[in-house]
Amino acid sequence: MNLGTRGALTFRLGDYSFAVRVEEAGGILDAERLAQLPGVAEPIAGVAAFRGEMVPVVDLAAYLGIEVPIGPGHRYALVLFRGMDRFAILVPEIPRLVSGRDLREAPPAPDPELGQLLESVLENDQDHFHCLNYWRIFESIIPAAGASGGSRASMDRGY
Amino acid sequence: MPAQRGMRVEDEARQETPSPPPVVVVTFLAALLGGIAGAMASGVMAWIAIGAVACGGAYFASRASAPRKSMVDVARPRRLLLLLDRGGSAESKVPPEFAGDWATLYERVSRLAHDARSNAAPGSELDQFRKHADLAASLLRDGKDPLAEAPELRAGPLQSLLEGMRSSGSLPVVSRMRLGEEELIGEDGDTLPPDWPKPSGEETARPPGDINAFESGLKELIREIEALRTTLAGGPNGEGTAARDDAALRTPAQLVDAVVLTAADGIEDLAAGLMRANELASVAERVTNRATLLALNAALEATRSGSEAFAAIAEETRRLAEFAREATDTISRLSSEIEYKVGETITAIHATSEDAKTSLAELGGSAVAVPTSARSARVQVVRLLDRSRELLKCLGISTPRQPAENPPSAKDRNSTPDIVENGPPPADNATVAEGMLLIEGLKPGAHLES
Repeated sequence: MNLGTRGALTFRLGDYSFAVRVEEAGGILDAERLAQLPGVAEPIAGVAAFRGEMVPVVDLAAYLGIEVPIGPGHRYALVLFRGMDRFAILVPEIPRLVSGRDLREAPPAPDPELGQLLESVLENDQDHFHCLNYWRIFESIIPAAGASGGSRASMDRGY
Repeated sequence: MPAQRGMRVEDEARQETPSPPPVVVVTFLAALLGGIAGAMASGVMAWIAIGAVACGGAYFASRASAPRKSMVDVARPRRLLLLLDRGGSAESKVPPEFAGDWATLYERVSRLAHDARSNAAPGSELDQFRKHADLAASLLRDGKDPLAEAPELRAGPLQSLLEGMRSSGSLPVVSRMRLGEEELIGEDGDTLPPDWPKPSGEETARPPGDINAFESGLKELIREIEALRTTLAGGPNGEGTAARDDAALRTPAQLVDAVVLTAADGIEDLAAGLMRANELASVAERVTNRATLLALNAALEATRSGSEAFAAIAEETRRLAEFAREATDTISRLSSEIEYKVGETITAIHATSEDAKTSLAELGGSAVAVPTSARSARVQVVRLLDRSRELLKCLGISTPRQPAENPPSAKDRNSTPDIVENGPPPADNATVAEGMLLIEGLKPGAHLES
């Protein structure tokens, strides 16, 4: 079964397990010290330096309304790229790289919590992984130039 | 003084003898007779008669100015002055040239000279007293009776003093001097000179006043020994007052506290080292995290690029990072376990010390640590025992023995060997044991009365 990916980086937020395809992932960095930006919305945790560029870091748990217990451990930022654009999502643990050979496509099940943000669901022998449209989430927070991102984000989340 | 006394004697002698005829009167009478002869006669015979009358007058005038009796008056005072200088005697014979009042005067001058030579002057009296005192002191130092050895002391000013000393038996001043010399020479009495006077058995016969004086001194000595022994034994309540005052004296509970504090300090140092190790472990954990991130990024790039070689290197890097993580986790776990056990050990030590102190309190706390500094006190006790034994010998009382039917108490059994063990090596063990029995068994009234 061809999933169209060589693998995925998986991580957990609360009771959900999420996955990011390796074709979208640019890298992982330590987000222990993020630079805070004044006057930005809550989902934006700050900015981080990745390979000489400054990328915004989005708190996915805060955006999705998932409560994550705040522990003493580190936080990490999973960088996604699309073309020349990059942004990072904040994850509470080091993502695990799961080979595409171990993943398979799960039958899509509608999730009212995730709404239209859910693209697909991957699974292996242990767990199911939700693949979201992360760029849509980012553009709902920070609209692209000339677009009404706010209204689109609200629409995507079903608000 | 002798010159004035001689002038008075000369005046008295001048008053006793008749004064010679005045030369002026004789000369006047001779001139008057010469004028009458010149008026009645004339010629050569008249001048011869006037010359004869003048010569006769001059002769009588010279005789009147130097009478023979004054020579006798000068010799007597000279004899009297010589008597004053040489000193008179109590029973002197009056010379034949001194008769009447001169005999009386001679006797008085002789008595005055005798008194002046014997004891009239304070300086001479003091010198005599000093001579007698030196003589008496030398005889006492030699152990002799001054009144028996020196006859002049029996009539001197020290007679009453020496008689009173002999009757009161204070001759043991020689014995006290021997004790002082013994202190200077050493503790061993055998080092004294062989001719040194030793207490003899005849000193046992003492008058009652002598015994009372020694009894009071012995009681005072015994009180001091008892006080010192009580101090060494730790006081009546088992907790030594000196132990509280002296930092060197520590009770077993204090020793337990000191050991616990020492152990706790060491363990706290170990805990501090563990904290430092934890910090280093956290640093290692960070390095491991970075290595893990590096391995994950390498694996991500290898997966994305599809390069098998890159994937192999990324896989090795991931294993290395995983191995480092396992090692770091093991170090952190072991450090946490050691820290936990250290805490448990500290708690156990404190609990054990409390148990030890409780057990010591249940035992009554009679065992008091005897520090090294108390040895000097024990030496003093032994010396006091020797002195008390000598006092008893002076009194003629045998050294009291511990009654067989009255064994020493447990406290005494604890204290006696301790002092004997830690004291200086005695010349005779029996003497020290005897002294200890003296301390413990001596009831001043009972033994002195016996």
